[in-house]
Amino acid sequence: MTFLQIVEGPLFYIAAAVFVIAALWRLIGIIRIGHKADIAPPKGSATGGFIAGNLRHFVPRKSFAKRTWIHLVAGYSFHLGLFVLLLFAAPHIDFARDRIFGFDWPAMPRWGFIVAAQFAFAGLIMLWVRRFADPVMRLISDWDDHIGSWLTFLVMLTGCLALQESHDALKAIHMLFVDIWLIYFPFSRLMHALTFFLSRGYTGATYGRKGMTL
Amino acid sequence: MMLPKLTAALFFIALMLVPVLMSSDAAYAQSVRPPANAVNQPGQGPERIGTSNTLGEDSQSDYWRALRHGRSGISTSGPGGGLLIQSQGEDWRLIRKQYIIKYSGSVLIGVLALLVLFYFIRGRIRLKGGRSGKTISRFSLSHRTAHWFMASVFILLAVSGLIILLGRTVLAPLIGKTAHSIIASAAMQGHNLFGPLFIIALVWLYYMFVPGNFFKMVDLKWLLKGGGLIGGHASAGHYNFGEKVWFWAVAFGGLLISITGIILEFPWLAANLQLLQVSTIVHAVVAIGLIAFALGHIYIGTLGMEGALDSMTTGDVDINWAIEHHDLWYEEVTGKPVQADKSADNEAPGHAQVYTQSRS
Repeated sequence: MTFLQIVEGPLFYIAAAVFVIAALWRLIGIIRIGHKADIAPPKGSATGGFIAGNLRHFVPRKSFAKRTWIHLVAGYSFHLGLFVLLLFAAPHIDFARDRIFGFDWPAMPRWGFIVAAQFAFAGLIMLWVRRFADPVMRLISDWDDHIGSWLTFLVMLTGCLALQESHDALKAIHMLFVDIWLIYFPFSRLMHALTFFLSRGYTGATYGRKGMTL
Repeated sequence: MMLPKLTAALFFIALMLVPVLMSSDAAYAQSVRPPANAVNQPGQGPERIGTSNTLGEDSQSDYWRALRHGRSGISTSGPGGGLLIQSQGEDWRLIRKQYIIKYSGSVLIGVLALLVLFYFIRGRIRLKGGRSGKTISRFSLSHRTAHWFMASVFILLAVSGLIILLGRTVLAPLIGKTAHSIIASAAMQGHNLFGPLFIIALVWLYYMFVPGNFFKMVDLKWLLKGGGLIGGHASAGHYNFGEKVWFWAVAFGGLLISITGIILEFPWLAANLQLLQVSTIVHAVVAIGLIAFALGHIYIGTLGMEGALDSMTTGDVDINWAIEHHDLWYEEVTGKPVQADKSADNEAPGHAQVYTQSRS
């Protein structure tokens, strides 16, 4: 068995299993915490607040938009670029069809991949730079944040370096970083990708029930 | 400050390379072209027997002329598509192989050696008055983010570019042809991917840092005093002469690299093959120059000078650093003459929130 076969075969399935089980464990754990019963009569809809809380956070507050424009541009650039790469890159769709789902969906053209990758890289680099260039961010960032940023960067970088698909070794290195990333994900702040809607929704539901406009 | 000396050394090296690149006599000596007497001329050599070429008795000169100067319909598409043999390609190959590849590594190692030598001779430039504990804002978060964004992209491009340029000469003998092939393929993909980000970084960097980087008379005085190495203290505004030279080198060098990079990444934009060949040469020479310059910039910003890195990490610098290295800027932002504030280290620690640049 070659190194590539190991990292995209057994090691990938082990990493994916760790990712799914641990992420579910954490999500269910968060949901099961529950909250103290609010005995005050509701003045609005908690469900509406949950949804509004999630949507409202996608648009920056006017008073903060100018001050936080780097964070805003970098955040959207990175996350949108990454999702497009993850879901619509032709090699990813082929892998998902062959190894996971058994079916595929339309892939974006090569130029689309390049543009999405550049958005993702520009955003990620700016977000990481902000971690040490902004005094407040530097203060609240720890090793977990930096490891998460660097692991994500290495997964993206090795994937793009293997874009030509001319060498199995490059693909194997990319898959190795993907496996490491999947295992690290549920035990780190990368989990925000799966929990952000809960925290935004919780705040939104609390305010919604009190009849506050978000 | 040592920056002008480093600047002068780097320019000297660059200037030394120019005549070397201009002279190609030695290159022709090792050309793969046949010698002038290789072709038998009628009446000058032994009498030919039978046909002299595959076209029978047709003139070979006409045949090769058609191949070298192009004929419509002979070939397909792309720059110089009708041209089967491009004579200038041999010049390009020789310049690239015998000068650029041969000397670029030596230039970079030479600059590194000079920096190490300089460090051992001069040592770290320390703050004469020590740290006062009081700081002053020098660069905003936008400035710092623009700087580090450019630095990140520049390093990725420099590493991948050096692998592309020197990998076959330096890496292949060490790690083998197969491993080199894998690394070179990865470097090529990475270089093409990060290239457009460099253009974005360059425009952002220029926009953020151009205020204050135009040359003034005080820069000439700073230069004549060797940045303080000769002739005592050299006054400087927000940026000194060395920093301004570095800024404009990045601006113009970056512009050249960007234009030639676009031509190389999209070769169908080039009108002819010569433009592509000149682009590879300009791209490589300017890149090596900027990398060499960047080594000096990194040295003086980290190991070489106490307190310099603070301006790009926290954005604040110690007041004593500002007074010692950028006294005119200090006076401008505080409104206080430097002499009156020489005792800054005796005052209570604190922070002054002042910027001189219009962009924030």
